[in-house]
Order: sequence, then structure tokens, then C-alpha cells
Amino acid sequence: MSDELVYTRIFDAPRELVFRCMIDPQHLTHFWGPHGVHTPIENIIVDPRPGGVFQTIMVNDADGAEYPSKGVFIEVVEPERLVWIEDDINMTTTSTFTDLGGSRTEVRIHQTNVPAAFRSPEAQAGFKSSLDRCAAYLAEVLAGNTR
Amino acid sequence: MTVPDDQLDAAFAALADPTRRAIVNRLARGDATVNELAAPFDMTLPGISKHLKVLERCGLISRSRHAQFRPCHLERGPLDSAVTWIEENRRIWTERFDKLDQHLRDIQGATDHE
Repeated sequence: MSDELVYTRIFDAPRELVFRCMIDPQHLTHFWGPHGVHTPIENIIVDPRPGGVFQTIMVNDADGAEYPSKGVFIEVVEPERLVWIEDDINMTTTSTFTDLGGSRTEVRIHQTNVPAAFRSPEAQAGFKSSLDRCAAYLAEVLAGNTR
Repeated sequence: MTVPDDQLDAAFAALADPTRRAIVNRLARGDATVNELAAPFDMTLPGISKHLKVLERCGLISRSRHAQFRPCHLERGPLDSAVTWIEENRRIWTERFDKLDQHLRDIQGATDHE
């Protein structure tokens, strides 16, 4: 269970709408790129059915560098669950949408098969916590080394 | 986001051991000799040396060839690439969530109640 990354967030919006945001280019273009990067709507292809593609090209605001990413949907259960796998690195991303009532929705992003380097049997045996916590630990160690 | 896989595999394997993690922790604060590294542990010098060899083989530490006490030095490279990849991935999702939150506020405020 250590070769995984988990990110969770609660949104003040009904589940159907949050789910729609994740599969509709009109919505995705507003939030898919992190800070300093945008995702032009014309470069987003979403075909939300098993075998369909989920393709984006994030563009760096500063220098125009492009970061293409291509996934293929494995599972699409509206409005509960999306699973896609990224071709190049084989990483599987599962998004789970939970209706919390009162127009609140929890989104849980669960990534498995993170790149090979992070999932050797030895690494799994050693790190029972998530990779995320492992990274935080290592970052602390390294921070101590720089200052 | 390019990761040298072999090096990272070896580094993570080496770090799977608590003693070796403690050694890395200590070296993050500065170079140290084998004697200094052995001090906090209930372990013989050969025992510590064995751990140091594992860390050295995967490139996590290096040892001076000429200094008399051959102090150990932490090499940041392999750890840095692991941390960078994971931190970057986390940052992307955190910021995506922040922006999605804002987007949901925008569209809900614009179309209907709240």
C-alpha cells in the first residue's frame, strides 16, 4: 500500500457538478493547470467512457513550454468514479466523488503504479506510510542539509 | 520530471532500513566519521560500516579517499530527484483543487443561489 499517492479535498458544490468539471473541457480549462501554467480548451480532449482518451496540454505562462499528458479511461461511473491510466508512465489515477449532503462533495484522488522508481519491493517494505509522507520526510532531511 | 529509475530504486531500498535512515538524518546535518556515526547506536563499528557500504553503493553517501578519518558525506542527488517528483505531483493536485474550488464558486454564484 505504499506505492500510492492520495489527495483529498471537500468542495461546496453538488456531486454532479464537481464530476462534470472533471470531464468537461469547458470546465477543465479553468483549473487543470497549476499556478504558472494554463490549459487551453482547444488542447483538451475528453472522451469519458472506458477506452476513451483524456488528453491535455498544459502550457507554461512564462515561456510557452508545453506539457502534454495522455490518459485512457478505464472506468467511468457518473457521478461517482473516474479511473484513467497514463500511457507513458503507466500510473493509474482514480478519482472518487462522495456526496456529503448539503451540496458538499469530497473528491479523493488516488494514484497507484507511480513510476517504477518508487515501487520496488524493498521500498514498499520499508515505507509503510504513503510516498507523500516519505517525500515530506526526505524533504525535511534535505532542508536540514542546506541551512 | 525525469527520474533516473535505477538510482532511485537503489536509494529507496537502502532507505528501507531504520538505521540507515538515521545515518542519513545525521549526515544531513554535516559530514561525520564512522566513529561519530556509530556513537548513538548500540552497534559495533563493523555493523555500522556494513550500513555505510550499502549507502555508498547506491550513491547516497560518499567517503573521502584521502582524509585520515574518511568522513562520510551525504550526496543529495538521489534523494532530491525522488522528493522533487513527489512534491511536484502534490503541488499540481493542490493547486488544481484550489482553482477548481474557485471555479465552482464562480459558476455557482453566476448561475443560481449560492
